Amino acid sequence: MAAPPRHSSMMSTSNAGTLQSSTTDRQQAPQQLPTPQPTQGLRVPSNRKTIYDRHLNRSRNAESSRASFAYLFGEMVTYAQRRVTGIQDLEKRLNEQGYPLGLRLLDLLFYRSTSTSSSALSSSSTSSSPPNRPLRIITLLHLIHGPLWRLLFQRSADALEHSVSPDTPNEYMITDNDPLVNTYISVPREMNMLNCAAFVAGIIEGVCDGCGFEAKVSAHNQPTEMWPSRTVFLVRFGDSVMEREKVLERNGVK
Amino acid sequence: MTSPGDGTPVKPPPSFSPGPARATSKSRYPDGQEVTHSIDAELAEARSPSSPTPLSATTAELPIRSASPHARSVRSSTPQLARSSLGSPFDGRFDGSEDIRSLIIRAFSPTVTVHASEDTDELVRNKGFRGGFCELIRPFGETVPGKVIIRDSVGSSRAWEDYGVRFVDLKGFGRSPPGRDSARDSPLAQIEEVLEKQLNSAEGPIGSSVPSKDVLGFPATTPLCKLFLRQLLSSTSAAPHETFGHPVASVITISSRNPAPLETLRQLYAESNTGDKRLPEWVNQEYLRYYVLIHDEERDDITESTKLYDQMKRHFGLHCHLLRLRSSQCVVTDDDSVQVPQCEWLSPQRTVIRETLVDLGTDDTPYLFDSDATAIRSFIRELIVQSVIPFMENRVAVWNDQVASRRRGISGRFMSMSRRWAGFGSGSRSGIGGSSGSGSGNYDSDQHFYSPDSPEAILRKMADFAVMLRDWKLSASTYEMIRSDFGNDKAWKYHAAAHEMCAVSTLLNPMAMSAKIKLESVDQMFETACYSYLTRCSDPTHALRCLALAVELLKSRGGSATESAARWAMRVMDFGLVGSVGQILFMERVAACYASKTPAGGAKWGARRRKAGMWSLFAADQWLKLGKPNLASACVEEAERLYGEVLETDGIFPMPEMQTFVDNLRHAVKVEYLEARGFDARDEPATEDPLDTEETSEKLEKIDKRNHRRSLIGLPGQLDAGNLKMTATVRDSENSPNDDFERA
Amino acid sequence: MSYYFTILSPTDTPIFNIAFGTSKGGGDGIARFRFPDTAQYMNQFIIHSSLDIVEEAQWTNGGMYLKHIDTYPPAAAYISAFLTPSGARFLLLHQPPQLPSGSSSGLGSSSLLGSSASTTRASSSSVAANPTSPQTEEAVRQFMNEVYESYVKTSMSPFYKQGMEIKSPVFRTKVTGAGKKWL
Repeated sequence: MAAPPRHSSMMSTSNAGTLQSSTTDRQQAPQQLPTPQPTQGLRVPSNRKTIYDRHLNRSRNAESSRASFAYLFGEMVTYAQRRVTGIQDLEKRLNEQGYPLGLRLLDLLFYRSTSTSSSALSSSSTSSSPPNRPLRIITLLHLIHGPLWRLLFQRSADALEHSVSPDTPNEYMITDNDPLVNTYISVPREMNMLNCAAFVAGIIEGVCDGCGFEAKVSAHNQPTEMWPSRTVFLVRFGDSVMEREKVLERNGVK
Repeated sequence: MTSPGDGTPVKPPPSFSPGPARATSKSRYPDGQEVTHSIDAELAEARSPSSPTPLSATTAELPIRSASPHARSVRSSTPQLARSSLGSPFDGRFDGSEDIRSLIIRAFSPTVTVHASEDTDELVRNKGFRGGFCELIRPFGETVPGKVIIRDSVGSSRAWEDYGVRFVDLKGFGRSPPGRDSARDSPLAQIEEVLEKQLNSAEGPIGSSVPSKDVLGFPATTPLCKLFLRQLLSSTSAAPHETFGHPVASVITISSRNPAPLETLRQLYAESNTGDKRLPEWVNQEYLRYYVLIHDEERDDITESTKLYDQMKRHFGLHCHLLRLRSSQCVVTDDDSVQVPQCEWLSPQRTVIRETLVDLGTDDTPYLFDSDATAIRSFIRELIVQSVIPFMENRVAVWNDQVASRRRGISGRFMSMSRRWAGFGSGSRSGIGGSSGSGSGNYDSDQHFYSPDSPEAILRKMADFAVMLRDWKLSASTYEMIRSDFGNDKAWKYHAAAHEMCAVSTLLNPMAMSAKIKLESVDQMFETACYSYLTRCSDPTHALRCLALAVELLKSRGGSATESAARWAMRVMDFGLVGSVGQILFMERVAACYASKTPAGGAKWGARRRKAGMWSLFAADQWLKLGKPNLASACVEEAERLYGEVLETDGIFPMPEMQTFVDNLRHAVKVEYLEARGFDARDEPATEDPLDTEETSEKLEKIDKRNHRRSLIGLPGQLDAGNLKMTATVRDSENSPNDDFERA
Repeated sequence: MSYYFTILSPTDTPIFNIAFGTSKGGGDGIARFRFPDTAQYMNQFIIHSSLDIVEEAQWTNGGMYLKHIDTYPPAAAYISAFLTPSGARFLLLHQPPQLPSGSSSGLGSSSLLGSSASTTRASSSSVAANPTSPQTEEAVRQFMNEVYESYVKTSMSPFYKQGMEIKSPVFRTKVTGAGKKWL
């Protein structure tokens, strides 16, 4: 299955030069719009307000419409589905779309909790001192399970578990009984392995990685009778993280 | 050396290994996403054949998004083994600091004066030793063959392999008054001179060699640095405030040629107590006398000598020795000739003289008959093991019992306290600065010394003995006890020296391990010592010795002490105590201190690679300015090794100006190195400006490298990306970030 | 007081650089480092070498602002660090001005001895005259927080990818403004 596309991609490599020129030609017209010439500086909006003049907390409590989100996400899945080789590939693409979002959300999350007195991050803390960066796995997972989920979906995730198997101490599971992203998606039978929450898995991966915890995150269907679209996010941390965890444990770092 | 015409290929110094590749930007989320891509593809491959339930997917190899900064070390090509396997608390030990430690320990060796009769010196001079008997035995005294067993104050014994004593001619003892410091004669200037001489002697083992690496890849301490330290430690002459230079024993020697042996011995003994050979007032006269009869194997009758020797023993007790030497001079061509070992511990002044002799070619290394050498060795062993060490052990025990315990006991504490109070009461004139007006009165503030029989002087001597006997626990506690007394008496040199030695003993004591508070107090003691030496006594030599000891000993402690060590080394540079060569040596030391700090307890952090690398580069820069490209090259190489683990790609610094600096440095080192080798860089074809061509050629290489890497990494990603359209391939050609969007 | 401020990506690539001087106490906001102009690489070396400490502090201190973490004594350069949760490092090198009498000396000169103490008085009222005082820590913290806000805004832009150099002149103005305001 992989052979012909591979071949074609080889072809494309050899033709890269000509192809490139043709693509750029084609894109010439629309590109004029968004890319400002570096020599001319920034294209400042007519009201003279750049992104730096907008307050980051303004949209804090604003919810986007569920319908528009569903539409947007649907388009994202469709877009990702183009040119894919299989389910894994599709999930990987969704994951890659989520990853940069996770990195950004991390900064935003911390910014919002530092700049306001309300403790959006740590439910227990009442002080207005800035929250700490997570140093241990558990703190990180709580951050994802609580604040991150609330930021995204207005509620916490449903469960947080650690692998019981001694062979995989680096595996953790975050469960969402009814992921928002999957609400309006019904997966065809022949693709029943697919879980579009791979997008959310990408977000989680971005958050983990941003905090310095290398991890692979994947989304898996674990339907129950009550929750047909129940999804488990499997977080697998890298060896270096586990090593560091041991050191921090010994040093008594919380 | 190699001349240009030789045609021999010039081997570039090791640091010029291929011009490093240089990526334009190594962003974490690379535009091309090659890295992520290939790994994800790997994941996909790993997944696809596995069972349909992803939950049970194999986790044996968990691919990690390698863009994470923490995965960096995993990917780096440098062997990880070196870093992780050395996570023991004694890390510092691996980089030759054990060597340095031994050097420091041996620096505090007992001094033995030599008082030889005329006929003895005559005999020895015939053998080719112009300096007389002392010169003959001096090199042998520095290392006593075999193990020397020493008992400490609590009665446990320990054997030492590297024990030695310093022989000093009584005639020269204390003649040079300890206050003469004209600019030319100051020991510091002499040390600098020795270093420069050593550097300039092209054939010298130090000047030209690149420091050797030991098995573990840590750079051994450079020979030059050891030379510096040894010179520094032997630069201080006998002084009132410390008794390391004072004689512990005196060897009184006659030869079998002497017509009136016993009378001569008596006379020699008397001379050392009175008369013009008398030691300065501040030296304790209570030291061991050892009587030696030299038997001339070639001229005299051994039965006569044995008879005389028996007589000596009857008159002078057990501290006697019969040394049998041949009186004729030995030459290289003789069958059983042995070369006399080189003296390791010569004062800088003497080293300068020796070097000059070497330069003039007049210093022919003396040879001895094998039998003579053996006889001298066994004499020295007997002297030390049977007389000197027991004598010292005995003195320490007696003083400890009689003086120290009284001082340590309740009454002593009360005494010193009342003294302080009394001083405070009576000396209210003296203002706030001093807590006491005149102190104990044992201190002669006009001549600046304690009389040798005052408790302060005896305690100091006892502590010094303990140091020389390597009983650092006792010495540390004794210095600790007396160090504040000296402050009260305003005996600033004593004050400084006691603080210095207290810190040194604490650090040398292997038992007193690194409690954090200890370290702080040690730092504090060095600080005080340094301040007293420099500000109150203006004695830069001792201050430098103190700081150099601080650097080396703290470094050998490992852990957080190494940072302290680096700080002290920087202080030395700040104080301007050292000349231009010394300055660079200390830069190298700073680098070495930082390099020896390794991550503790399996953590990935805690090393100081970047700092070490930075200082190595600075040192390289300075060597280059001094015109020593070979040493600079060694530093550059060391820096590259250090940076190897922390840089994304070997030799590529993320910051542009740093990169420029390093590139220029590398290039300059290369050019100068080749020139020094007699290879004129300007002879190269089309090399009008060597810098330019170098730059371009390097750039070419860089581009090459990068393309190469891209093709390696990028390709599998592309292949696996399967039916990506043509646009996907375009992304690699770096045209615009938008491609990535299009691709996704 | 002279400042050199750098933002480093998680892979140690500098994504933003700026050098400025104090504007407090009549300062003109122009950086005057102790190194000669030809040795501006020194700032980068010092910053880069302090990453050793940052890496260590990163896992012992969970705060975002790590305070003053490192010193380079030969040039009296002090480093303060701020870590964003997503792994970018803000490093601020601050250096008190040299004694008026002191010649412009490079590395390892003896004239650097004890200069920091006396300069404190020389530049007087400046909030950050003493690099380790609590006031300085607080001022640097405020500065860092303000830069962080701008940084978050930058990183929210869809045209910005983390690890890219920040070229926006508005961002630069913002940082300069924060420097004027707090340092």
